[in-house]
Amino acid sequence: MSAEENPAAEPAPVIDVQGDGRWMSQHNRFVQECKDAEPDVLFVGDSMVQLMQQYEVWREVFSPLHALNFGIGGDTTCNVLWRLQNGELENIRPRVVVLWVGTNNHEHTADQVAGGILAIAQLVLSRLPRSKIIVLGLLPRGEFPNPLREKNAAVNNLLRASLPQLGPVQFIDVGGSFVHSDGAISSRDMFDFLHLTASAYRTISTTLHELLLQMLEEMPQERRASLV
Amino acid sequence: MSEDSHPADSPTPCQDIQGDGRWMSLHNRFVSDSKGKEPDVLFVGDSLVQLLHEFEVWRKLFSPLHALNFGVSGDATQHVLWRLINGELDYISPKVVVLWVGTNNHGHTPEQICGGIMAIINVIHQKLPHAHTLVLGLLPRGKNPNPLRERNASVNALVQAEVASLSHVSFLDVDPGFIHSDGSILHQDMKQPLSRKHAV
Repeated sequence: MSAEENPAAEPAPVIDVQGDGRWMSQHNRFVQECKDAEPDVLFVGDSMVQLMQQYEVWREVFSPLHALNFGIGGDTTCNVLWRLQNGELENIRPRVVVLWVGTNNHEHTADQVAGGILAIAQLVLSRLPRSKIIVLGLLPRGEFPNPLREKNAAVNNLLRASLPQLGPVQFIDVGGSFVHSDGAISSRDMFDFLHLTASAYRTISTTLHELLLQMLEEMPQERRASLV
Repeated sequence: MSEDSHPADSPTPCQDIQGDGRWMSLHNRFVSDSKGKEPDVLFVGDSLVQLLHEFEVWRKLFSPLHALNFGVSGDATQHVLWRLINGELDYISPKVVVLWVGTNNHGHTPEQICGGIMAIINVIHQKLPHAHTLVLGLLPRGKNPNPLRERNASVNALVQAEVASLSHVSFLDVDPGFIHSDGSILHQDMKQPLSRKHAV
């Protein structure tokens, strides 16, 4: 599916409907952070990424990897694409980019969402040819089985099949432990049946952290010459 | 998850637009939670309340008070009103209800939002005649001065005036000074929608 045909691969900023310009404020802050920081790892995505930084686990596990967090709650693939095309990849050369987005693409089909995520991965690889990418699978959501769980699972299946073809991209699904045998998700893992609690973030961070260490070890450290 | 098209003081459940029924799941869980517990303090409101539960400060400061948390992200006054009328107050007798809602009432005037908050206060008083309600002021929002800051400040002034004559209600402004002299709020103090830092 080409970008012209896929609405989920159309870059689009969030329009300030509420009136306090917070989305653009955050984007501008991230662009500024690109000028100030030299991250080895860049996390980008929606609230799944953003919320991670509010918990202790970020400071303990990911900060030591020199990680930046460019998550914004509510973002779709279109919003993340726009942000990355408009400054959030400038002046930095992270060795690994962790991408977690797609669960907010309510207007799009599973095919379109997967296409949008692929488009983001392709953009990152074109701008940062020496970087590797980790794409996190969409988590199940809702207390009981519902259409969004099926849709997110379908997106994951599509990603599992298509991402490896892009090259240095790894797909990991950290959602396996959240749905219990009766089909229910516990509020101890997702306090609102969508967002993760501190303890659930700890659970998924172990896998993610191990993969990150592995990837960072495989890649020779770039000399910190002036960035072209 | 909030809707602007309903009046701020008319009880309205949240429609399940996204398709995973989470709002109703949360409401049902609050009702069933309340059947087993005897909280002395009930926190009710929007994401600012809900998120409080997820951080260490809850365990340290509020759990010891035997507190329950009925916060739902995105809720406006009309949603909280509906929840409280439809079961969330039926099985408990807290001594204090902490109410923090109003910042998501997009499209409503400060007067309407104040009306919504007063409607909630009245429902609480009807259902729990012996409880004291503590209304928290709406925080400023947005990096720089903007209409929502003005709106929230107006709501606070209106609510504070209305509750002054009520012995069972108190108003508390919990803003420790988030706005700096240049009018800006630091991202270290407030992130965006769901993840506001709780500098309690």
